[in-house]
Amino acid sequence: MKKRGWVRTIGLLSGITLMTGLLAGCGASNKPILKVYSAGEYLDTSLLSVFEQENNCKVIYETFDSNESMYTKLQSGETYDILVPSDYMIERLILEDSLQPVDWSLLSQAGGLDQEILGKEFDPDNTYSVPFFYGSVGILYDTTVVDEADLADGWELLRNEKYAGDIYMYDSERDSFMIALKALGYSMNTTSTEEIDAAYDWLIEQRNIMNPVYAGDDVIDNMISGNKAMAVVYSGDAAYIISENEDLAYFVPEEGTNVWQDAMVITKDCTQTELAHAYIDFMLETDHAYANTIEVGYTSPVTEARNRAVEDAFAGNAAYLPDLTREKDEVFRYQEQSVREYFADLWTKVKAAN
Amino acid sequence: MKQFVKLVRPYMVWLVVMVIVPLLLIVLYSVTTGGNDLVNIQFTLDNFKKMTEPIYVAVFVKSFQLGLISVGICLVAGYILAYLITLFSERVQGLLILFVTIPMWINTLLRTYAWICLLSDNGIINTVLGLFGIEPVSMMYTDFAVILGLVSDLLPFMVIPIHTSLCKIDHSLHEAAMDLGANRFQTFWRVTFKLSIPGVLNGIIMTFLLSISTFVIPKLLGGGQYMLIGNLVETQFISVGDWNFGSAISVILAFIILIAITCMKRIDKEEIEEE
Repeated sequence: MKKRGWVRTIGLLSGITLMTGLLAGCGASNKPILKVYSAGEYLDTSLLSVFEQENNCKVIYETFDSNESMYTKLQSGETYDILVPSDYMIERLILEDSLQPVDWSLLSQAGGLDQEILGKEFDPDNTYSVPFFYGSVGILYDTTVVDEADLADGWELLRNEKYAGDIYMYDSERDSFMIALKALGYSMNTTSTEEIDAAYDWLIEQRNIMNPVYAGDDVIDNMISGNKAMAVVYSGDAAYIISENEDLAYFVPEEGTNVWQDAMVITKDCTQTELAHAYIDFMLETDHAYANTIEVGYTSPVTEARNRAVEDAFAGNAAYLPDLTREKDEVFRYQEQSVREYFADLWTKVKAAN
Repeated sequence: MKQFVKLVRPYMVWLVVMVIVPLLLIVLYSVTTGGNDLVNIQFTLDNFKKMTEPIYVAVFVKSFQLGLISVGICLVAGYILAYLITLFSERVQGLLILFVTIPMWINTLLRTYAWICLLSDNGIINTVLGLFGIEPVSMMYTDFAVILGLVSDLLPFMVIPIHTSLCKIDHSLHEAAMDLGANRFQTFWRVTFKLSIPGVLNGIIMTFLLSISTFVIPKLLGGGQYMLIGNLVETQFISVGDWNFGSAISVILAFIILIAITCMKRIDKEEIEEE
C-alpha cells in the first residue's frame, strides 16, 4: 500500500528531473527508458541497476505517497510506463481506460505466483494487473502498555479513553473510513450516506476524546522507538516494525479489515511494452521478489519467495502472513464520483477539525 | 534611458505567461465545478460558500493566530538581534549577518527534520533531560513545535530588513537627541525605533506572508491532523483532487494577504508623512 515519504518523493523527483534534463541535454544516451511510478520504499532499489544492465536500458523510478496523489499526478499530464497502485485505484484506471492488457505469455515467471492472490474482484481475470505485494490493515500495539483484555474491543480499542493521546491513526482517507465503518458493522464499500455520516461522526468523536496523531511514514520510526501505545498500520509495516522492536504485536480486529493488494500495471502511454513486461517478469523472479519482501516487510505474492521469508527473516512474525480467509474482510472497490467526493469532503473535515 | 524601454518586453511576456495566466486559472478554478481538466465546467460560487462552514473558518482563524504569534516572536527576537548586530563595527556586522543567513543555505526540509530529531519523544532534548532524571516531555505534534519551527525558519526574514533600516540611521541623530536631554530609552523609542519602522514593517510583511501559507513545517512538526490554510490547500490539490475548492481557498487567502499588505503600507506612509 502507498508508503513512506512524500518528502523523499520530492527529493527524488527533483533529482530525477535534473537527471533527465541533463540526459536530454547532452543526448548521450540512446538507451530505451522505462518510467516506473510506485509507492515509496517499496522495493530493493539495487535491483533496478541489475535490471538496467541485463536489459541495456534506463529505469526512471519515481515514488508517490498515496494512490490519490499518484492519480492527481497522472491527471496533471505526467506519463509513466508502469504503475504500482492499489486494488481500488487499478479498478478506477481500468474503468477510465488508462491501462493496457498484460500479455501473460511474455511472463515466464508467472507460474510462481500464488493462485490465491490472483483473480480478485477489482480485476477478475488479471487482464491488467500483476500482483506485487498484498496485506491487511490492523493495529500495532505495545504489549507492555496495552492490556490484552482490551483487544476484545476490536476497532473500538482506538476509542478506549485509557489510551487517549497515545495512538497514531494512519493518514489515509479510505483506511480511516474503513476503520470507522467496520467498527460500526458496515461494509467499507458502502454508498449509503447515512452509514458514511455515522462513520464521520465516529472519527470526529475519536478526534475529540483520543486526540490521535494522523501519522504518515514517521509512524515506523516512532513505533520502533515505542513512542505511543498503538498505531494503525499496514501488515507489511507491522512486520518490519516488529522485527525491530519485539515488544510490539499486531492484531486485526474481528469486525473485518481491508485486505489490499498492490499490483503492477502497464499504462496506455507505454510504448516500450516488451521492456515493461521484462520489468514485471524480473520482479516476479523468486530471488528478486525475495529481496524486495525482505527489504520492506510486505508480503510477496510469489509463493517461493514468501515461504523463504517466513522461514528466515520473518520467522515467528505473525504480521508478515495476513490471514486471507476471514469472512468479514473486504477488498476496496471503485467508488462512483459522487461517493468519492462525498468521502473526500468529510475526510477534509475530519482532518481540519480541531 | 528611453531607448531601453523595448528591453522590458520579454519580461512583460514572462510576467503574462508565468504570473498572470496562472493567476487567472486559479480564479477560474475557484468559480467553477466540473473536474480538474476544465473541459465541461459550470460556474458556481459553491466553493466559496463551502469556506464559510465553521470547520474551515476555524482553520483560517488558527492559521492567523499561529501566524501572528510567530511574527510577534520573530519581531521581538529579530529586533533585539538586529539592534545588537548594529553595535559592532561594520566588518563584524557583515560577518554576523552572514551567520544569520547561514541556516537559509540549507533546505527547509532538512532544518525541519533536524527539529524532529531534537523534539521527538526519544529525541536529543529528551535524552539529555533523561540524564538528569527528568521525565520526557512530549513536544512533537504540538503548537509549540510548529511555532518553534516557524520562528527558526522565518527569523532571518525579520532580522535583515530591520538591520538594513537601523544601519541607515545617522548616528548624529542619537547625539542630537541626547544633547537635547532625551534619556536612553526616549532616544531609542522616539528616534531609533521610529526610523526603523519601514524595516520592521517589511519584516512583518515577509514573515507573515511566509507563515500564513506554510505547509511543510506544520505537516512535519504538527502531524497529519494539524491543519493550517497551507495544508488545507495542499490536501485539496494533492490527495483529495478537488482543485476547485483548493483554488477558492487560495483566492481567499490571496485576498486577505492583499488587504493586510495594503494596511501595512498605509501605516508606513503615515509614519513617513508624520516626519
